Amino acid sequence: MTTRAGDAVPSGAPVIIRGSLQGRYSGFASRFTAFAVDVGISLGVFLLALAAISFAALVLTGKDITWHKGDIWVIIAYAVWAFVYFAHSWAASGRTAGMALFGLRVVRDDGTDASGRRAVVRTLALPLSFLFLGLGFVGILLGDRRRALHDVIAGTAVIYSWDARAARLRFLSRG
Amino acid sequence: MAEVRPVPRSEAWARAATERAVERVVSALDVNALLDLVDLNAVLDQVDIDRVLDRIDLDRLLGRMDLNELVKHIDLNALVEQTDLGAIIAASSSGVAGDVLDVVRSQTVGLDEFIARWIGRLRRRPYTGPPGPPGRLRSGAGQ
Repeated sequence: MTTRAGDAVPSGAPVIIRGSLQGRYSGFASRFTAFAVDVGISLGVFLLALAAISFAALVLTGKDITWHKGDIWVIIAYAVWAFVYFAHSWAASGRTAGMALFGLRVVRDDGTDASGRRAVVRTLALPLSFLFLGLGFVGILLGDRRRALHDVIAGTAVIYSWDARAARLRFLSRG
Repeated sequence: MAEVRPVPRSEAWARAATERAVERVVSALDVNALLDLVDLNAVLDQVDIDRVLDRIDLDRLLGRMDLNELVKHIDLNALVEQTDLGAIIAASSSGVAGDVLDVVRSQTVGLDEFIARWIGRLRRRPYTGPPGPPGRLRSGAGQ
């Protein structure tokens, strides 16, 4: 089974990609889904940490701490945690957990590994892409190199890092 | 019951003499030297294994084997001890996880392509596949 122009995405059986996608600029759906997974993971870990802090405070001091999502300190703490999560992941391996799941990697615009400085700049510029109803993400859909605003600012790009051809061979070998 | 015919003395003597003669010839023969002369590869080349196998009646062969008796001789406990079941389970579950990952990635790439094709149609620019790779990766990647 192969994909053709105009094909709808079939459900159930895997879509088999003809060639290897490795190194090619990744598309909107992969990036968006990976980002959604990352937000879920970072938020889940953050909420767990808050719950652990509340529990520890209750055990040690006997006082019950309640967190409100509108609390400025909670928002700042989450912003700091999200910055660490994304910046550290991109600097260390070029991928967050969500990106690893979907086989994506952040690289410099020439294809080499993204440095720590670019990872930090990319993380700081990420909120800018959400401004004006997410106008900064249009570049992923229309640009020749599928770069969002924060990619352009940081001099990075997102590529597929998984071997679709190997996946196809694995699928075929299992009949 | 079949009638047993007495063997004449002359015939018995002739048979005994023949057996002794054969024994002497065989003992005098150097079997190793004889085997050295035989080109076994040439012999095997002439053997049609498929034809030989066709002539074997496997059902009859298995019918004559007492498999239960055979299994009794196998030390199953030692076999299980020597088998790394953990590795087998880990390999099979990692295989399943890998399959799921392949499916998830393939589906999202399919969605990427679907969106990109529709964008291409709206822009009236034919879509020829995902762009890239970036400069430094170009030599090592691609289709």
